[in-house]
Amino acid sequence: MSYFVFGFYALLLTASCLAAYFNKRTWFLTIFAFTLVSFVLGIVGGTSVLRNVAALAGLLALAAMVSYAFREFLIAIASNNMAKELRTAPLTAAFGLFVIFTYAIAGIFAPWIAPHGEAEVIATAFAPPDETMLLGADQLGRDIFSRIIYGTRNTVSLALSGTLMAFILGALAGLLAATTGGWFDQMLGRISDVIMSIPALIFALLMLSIFGGALATDTTSFALLFVFAMVTGLLVVVARAERSIMSWVIGLAVLVAAAAGFSIGMLVLFNPSEVILIMVVGVIYAPRVFRLTRAVAGNVVVMDYIEAAKLRGEGKWYLIRREILPNSTAPLVAEFGLEFCFVFLLVAGLSFLGLGIQPPTADWGSMVRENATLISFGDITPLIPAAAIALLTVAVNFVVDWMLHRSSGLKEQ
Amino acid sequence: MVKSKDVLLEIRDLQIQGYSDEKWVDIIKGVDLTLHRGEVLGLIGESGAGKSTIGAAAMGYARDGTRISGGSIEFDGMELTTATEAERRSLRGSRIAYVAQSAAASFNPAHKIIDQHTEAPLQYRLKKRLEAQEDAIELYNRLRLPNPEEIGFRYPHQVSGGQLQRAMTAMAMSCRPDLIIFDEPTTALDVTTQIEVLAAIRDIVDQFNTAAIYITHDLAVVAQMADTIKVLLKGEEVEEASTKEMLDNPKEDYTKSLWAVRSLKREQKSRPEGATPLISVRNVDAAYTGGVKVLDDVSFDIHEGMTVAVVGESGSGKSTTARVITGLLPPMEGEVLFKGEPFPPDYHNRTKEQLRQCQMIYQMADTALNPKVKIAEIIGRPAQFYHGLKGTALKNRVDELLDLIELEPSQYYNRFPPELSGGQKQRIGIARALAADPTFIICDEVTSALDQLVAEGILKLLNRLQKELNLAYMFITHDLATVRAIADEVVVMQHGKVVEQGPKEEMFTPPHHPYTDLLLSSVPEMDPDWLTTLLEERGVDNIGDAASARIDPDDPRVSK
Repeated sequence: MSYFVFGFYALLLTASCLAAYFNKRTWFLTIFAFTLVSFVLGIVGGTSVLRNVAALAGLLALAAMVSYAFREFLIAIASNNMAKELRTAPLTAAFGLFVIFTYAIAGIFAPWIAPHGEAEVIATAFAPPDETMLLGADQLGRDIFSRIIYGTRNTVSLALSGTLMAFILGALAGLLAATTGGWFDQMLGRISDVIMSIPALIFALLMLSIFGGALATDTTSFALLFVFAMVTGLLVVVARAERSIMSWVIGLAVLVAAAAGFSIGMLVLFNPSEVILIMVVGVIYAPRVFRLTRAVAGNVVVMDYIEAAKLRGEGKWYLIRREILPNSTAPLVAEFGLEFCFVFLLVAGLSFLGLGIQPPTADWGSMVRENATLISFGDITPLIPAAAIALLTVAVNFVVDWMLHRSSGLKEQ
Repeated sequence: MVKSKDVLLEIRDLQIQGYSDEKWVDIIKGVDLTLHRGEVLGLIGESGAGKSTIGAAAMGYARDGTRISGGSIEFDGMELTTATEAERRSLRGSRIAYVAQSAAASFNPAHKIIDQHTEAPLQYRLKKRLEAQEDAIELYNRLRLPNPEEIGFRYPHQVSGGQLQRAMTAMAMSCRPDLIIFDEPTTALDVTTQIEVLAAIRDIVDQFNTAAIYITHDLAVVAQMADTIKVLLKGEEVEEASTKEMLDNPKEDYTKSLWAVRSLKREQKSRPEGATPLISVRNVDAAYTGGVKVLDDVSFDIHEGMTVAVVGESGSGKSTTARVITGLLPPMEGEVLFKGEPFPPDYHNRTKEQLRQCQMIYQMADTALNPKVKIAEIIGRPAQFYHGLKGTALKNRVDELLDLIELEPSQYYNRFPPELSGGQKQRIGIARALAADPTFIICDEVTSALDQLVAEGILKLLNRLQKELNLAYMFITHDLATVRAIADEVVVMQHGKVVEQGPKEEMFTPPHHPYTDLLLSSVPEMDPDWLTTLLEERGVDNIGDAASARIDPDDPRVSK
């Protein structure tokens, strides 16, 4: 028995007594349950286990404090309306926001934060951690810490662009299908059914093995991007142009120019293999977004204010933009967070299989695979990128939960 | 009938708070209430007065987001505010029952009516299943439901609204409770159906000597049902008195103003000689895709600056007629003429100018205004869309419109619809219609979702606007009091046909078409003996659906 053990139990018991005295029921139950658990663990595992338990509890408390402080910080700097919303956020959501915020900083400022270059070989293979390398070196002697920081940028930006693509295409198609109805709705619905009937991972593997190898050139990716942008843009033109031929001509002209501009822009930001990955993700996830959007918009379309707008003679584009979209944003934003997690995991999974982001670009999924051998030596380094993936997914889900809760209008009892 | 005089429910200084905007706000501010066995108490007041909240509190129940913050509720010697949830729950269903406003929404559509009926007696182990079913059939019989033997074995959607409401009353009776709370049980029903439900409720409450709290905003209805009436305003009691005294001699100003609403009336205008009607519906037949004919040879005219009321019960094709005129539902046969020119049947083919002429005001202001769009844009959009107004001109126009509907522009300009009250929302709906500068407005049950005082305000506003802007209204309603107040001409519809039409004064003087007669006689009057007299005159079995089914097709007045 050490002073630590006495101190630990004394602290817990005092805290539970205080909670009981001040009638804080939930606090008391939490703390006292924790005390009982640590009694058992202390008896079974001894001092060392107790130390781990204390460290874990401390970590949780730290996370809770950080989340609390971060929420208060956001409330302080946000505008009035925003602050009101933020006050409803539970600690988990604040924690999620904090993690997302940290990742964003790490991703944006990667070159300044990382001590070494992304593909810079600075040591021998699997060199252990020292004062220049926080987490040691990987199988080629590159700094793992720097690669994780760069990986944030690559993996997250890719997943984010993929999700955005899926959303723009899916949401537009869904809104248009809901407002138009009839055969157009049926056609889009059946196309999405066809895509959704193929398992996502297999579909991705198929597409990547077609486009991923020798075809991963600037020309192919430009063509793919252009087609994607044309399809998306065509939906906008359909909604805007209504019946006049002139507006169709103008719309199509603008569309071709915009699609070309968009494709060139994407090629500046991403290399061809990444572009293809983004496209694949976009095509796979767009039908899911389409289904949700169509269902949500379908409930809005039957409202009297839509009828009033139609009778006024408003076009589809106005209906979508001003009447339907503002009433469907909440579920769509929540869905965005959820889909982002799935896309993120898919991209990481594909990279782990060697089909995703190509070396030497740093990426969490491929880092797990490259350093997997270290596991057999009892080294947990390969788990760190995996943990980074897990943490972000959990964080996004925390935030999404909060948003879903708000958009569904459920009240806390 | 002798009523024993022991106190059943006693509420003292009840205070209830609701949670909104992160604060607890008082909803009920100290209401007292005493109810004896077998007594019926009417609670009236406009929406937000706390009627339903008090009704729920009488069961010891506080709705989500509300809490009972003070006072006492004593039910038959048991204090409900301090009782445990289990104790309170054991009262509900067995000793206190509740009949909700919308029976259609309150029955579970997945179970047969009788299974839901027998749930409470079985739960409380008062009866065996078969006994409970026999009892249910007995109750259906007493409530004069058609086919009492068989109706319980149907699912809720297979039964009409009025019958469902009676089945719900039967269900409330299943454990022979001491107290039933009726929360606006007839508000959602047509006048003809309302009568059957009222008669049934009154009978059964009398037969079993059950005490009841009858919540409603319709004075004429409460006058038929209640022994005493309590008037509420914003969570406070205004006054309480026996029904007779309350009707003859209301003391408070607020109560008097409630009584006065029903006397709104205006001059009847007559058609200008030889003028082309503004809107002319000619021999219109219409059906929804694949369905049966909803409109059958409907014809009527609406002249400039006049109000034509279209009346009939639900399902008679009133709203469908409106959809045909607006072009949402192109007719199968016949046409709609606007100033003598045919209107394209589908609104897609109408020009902006044609669309502008004909505007619509909806029944439910909640769904008619986009909750995510500012008032300024809701009203400004038609002005911008049709007249191309921009910037200051647009803002001035919106201000002008807000002035016209008697709302202070600076206060409402930047607000969103959910922040407004029902009456204010309806005014915004009117302003949106006016923004287009129309000549003709369809008002689809615009006042039926509103309280009487608010509804009166809306009707006065519509009247004033008609005078100032020379508008023509097509006023769809099932409330004949509204028709009396505002119409110049009346069109009576039944089963998709126009059964009678003509100037208002003629329509309200006999002889009528038997259906018109039925409609007119079914409107509750402020006389507490009205229902009794009516039932004596017509016989218990000749009201509501039964009566309308009994109209003789060979009656000379039908083929008039």
